[in-house]
Amino acid sequence: MKVLATYNIKGGVGKTATAVNLAHVAAAHGNRVLVWDLDPQGAATFYFRVKPKVKGGGKAIVRGSLELGDAIKATDFDNLDLVPADFSYRHLDLWLDDAKKPLARIRRALRQVSDEYDYVFLDCPPSISLTSESVFRAADALLVPTIPTTLSLRTYEQLDRFVEENPDMVRELKILGFFSMVDRHKRLHRRFMNELRTAHPEILEATIPNSTDIERMGVHREPIGAYGKGSKPARAYEALWSEIQNRL
Amino acid sequence: MGKVRRYEVTAAGDFASVLAVLTDHLGLRLLSHDEGERSWLDTSTGTLGRAETTLEFRRPTGDATPSLTWACEGRVLVSDPCVSSTPPVQASDLPATPAFARLVALVDGGELVLGPTVSSQIAVLACLDDEEKTTARVVFDRSETLDGVALPMMLEVLPLRGYEDDAAALEKKLKRSVALSASSASMKELALRGVRSGHGASSGHDSAALVPSMSAAGAWRAVFQNLSESMTRSFSGVLSGNDPEDLHAFRVAVRRIRTILQDGDDVIDPESRDRFRHEYRWLGDVTTPTRDADVHLIEFPELVATLPSSRREELAAFNDVLLRHRTDCQAAMVAELRSLRRAEFGTAWLSFLADDDSWTGCGEVADEPVLRVVLMRVNKANRQFVKSGRKISKKSPAIALHELRKEGKRLRYLLECFGPLFDEKALASILKPLRELQDVLGEFQDTEVQAHALLDLAGELASGEDHSALMAIGGVIEQLGVRGADARASFSKTFGRFDDRKVQKAFDRLEPRKKKR
Repeated sequence: MKVLATYNIKGGVGKTATAVNLAHVAAAHGNRVLVWDLDPQGAATFYFRVKPKVKGGGKAIVRGSLELGDAIKATDFDNLDLVPADFSYRHLDLWLDDAKKPLARIRRALRQVSDEYDYVFLDCPPSISLTSESVFRAADALLVPTIPTTLSLRTYEQLDRFVEENPDMVRELKILGFFSMVDRHKRLHRRFMNELRTAHPEILEATIPNSTDIERMGVHREPIGAYGKGSKPARAYEALWSEIQNRL
Repeated sequence: MGKVRRYEVTAAGDFASVLAVLTDHLGLRLLSHDEGERSWLDTSTGTLGRAETTLEFRRPTGDATPSLTWACEGRVLVSDPCVSSTPPVQASDLPATPAFARLVALVDGGELVLGPTVSSQIAVLACLDDEEKTTARVVFDRSETLDGVALPMMLEVLPLRGYEDDAAALEKKLKRSVALSASSASMKELALRGVRSGHGASSGHDSAALVPSMSAAGAWRAVFQNLSESMTRSFSGVLSGNDPEDLHAFRVAVRRIRTILQDGDDVIDPESRDRFRHEYRWLGDVTTPTRDADVHLIEFPELVATLPSSRREELAAFNDVLLRHRTDCQAAMVAELRSLRRAEFGTAWLSFLADDDSWTGCGEVADEPVLRVVLMRVNKANRQFVKSGRKISKKSPAIALHELRKEGKRLRYLLECFGPLFDEKALASILKPLRELQDVLGEFQDTEVQAHALLDLAGELASGEDHSALMAIGGVIEQLGVRGADARASFSKTFGRFDDRKVQKAFDRLEPRKKKR
């Protein structure tokens, strides 16, 4: 089982769209996939039309008194399940802080379902916190959607530095950055992409375009592959998934 | 995760009308509705089946691309288009996707063998909650073998993980709206039986989906449902009268139902049992003259062939008499089968089968495990049969053999209808000599009946001037007498083979041995 976390310190960069769409692509290829919506806003949960409620409470999962498997809900798509968000996740940092070995909590919870899934996508809230550190410990790779702007460049480098400076905490964690919400008509986007690729050649080739098709996920409440199969953004996620698999 | 629940749709109606109930009345959303052929594949050693998975090659009607679907307990693991228009043979022929890679590993170099092929209409429906999220799926499946034998319509409820309560609520609604009976057999298993028997999954001897732990009432009900399906399938053919096999199949189902009703004391509600025994007896009786007429027509050429060639032509006129007689019988039978009595009885019977309340607390042993109840009844029937058989001597009247034949039928139908419950080897070692014995008794009975019937019908010729034909019929009746005498002469030996110690000991082994862990 590979654990992939969609993560960025900055919000609004396409983390949830990435988790939902890549999970859908992976499942459509016949992989057994789980999405764990760790963001109290519950956008991934909303996209899958699941009610944002964990029976027994998210806290119980983190504490280990509730099996992660008991909180799993099937989505409408074959091989694709979800651990829904719970608004109480806004206290996740506090729960982890109270717990013994907080950094191992998410990983331990995931271990319970390791035989059931090929890939787990963790949709993380933006920020660097105890939650994100626990995610870093659990994940095999961080998928970092990055908008080609100055601010995004800065946050990408912040994350890169953090991982570099904390080798004990993150262990074998791979950072897989890619450009998200790209508008190729904007000269600024093209320039920043070139600059960032020069500075960070490890950034993935596949890019996700800025597209109203992706925004319409909120209207359709399903992954783009379900309502816009073959569209440019759907193909972009397919290409991204293919590249990620090669890097893992 | 909730288990897939399978039901046989026993409601009267075709695929479209049941589908309309599911969508319009129950508000299920139709996700897909496909028609075409599908074949099940497995390795020669049944690797996929043992892993509780199925691999289906689907060839849709029209130009659509064939697909391969690998599923586990009704849940699709992967479904991909198949480049080839023929089913894969080697694991390497499977699509190169991660899921199929798991299948390749499971098959482990083995070849894929083509299993049963059926023609299907499959509708997949979703039960939605107030967010329009699917909480359960329903697969409604109507299939028939490639030689046109309809399999029972099946309905599967697939609970989705985390929504098991919603699926249970849906099941309750379904049971209230559509006549269903629980089934443990998948469509693949039904197809396999249907293709093997060539008579559809429900018309065969061992067709009911039975397990030893079922309640007696549940098992009786399942057997009745299967036999009723068989009757339904042949009914239109019986009315048209084009193929004598339809009437034969119909009558076999009726006789089996009568036997199972007879042995249903303390399992079935006594009032219903009495009523339906009476009605089925009537149904059997109204079809008997036509069946006898069919037999005369079928066997007459063979009988005529035993006469000297000079006498054969003299019987051409009698063949016309037989045809006229058959037409009259058919017309009388159709009138009865279209009568109000038949309609009311048919409706009452189907309602009885569909109504759960009719099968709850309906008899002293109704809730006991079926195997125990059936074994007691089989042993009782066998004791009675053997006792009567031993009394038969050369001097016994024909009626004694006729009564013995009926007792043998009772035993045989009990064994065949509840066959899936028994140890296969023990059952086979009993059924073989029993069927041989029944053939002998049948031959004796048939020749007697035919001789009498031909004699009666010959009266029509006697009124004319063609005495040579009458003489020829005398020859035919004589031949029948010879055959009957031969059958009677072989009775003792054939009965001895059934009354053999080894065969009788096999009754003690009918209860399947528990598998060692």
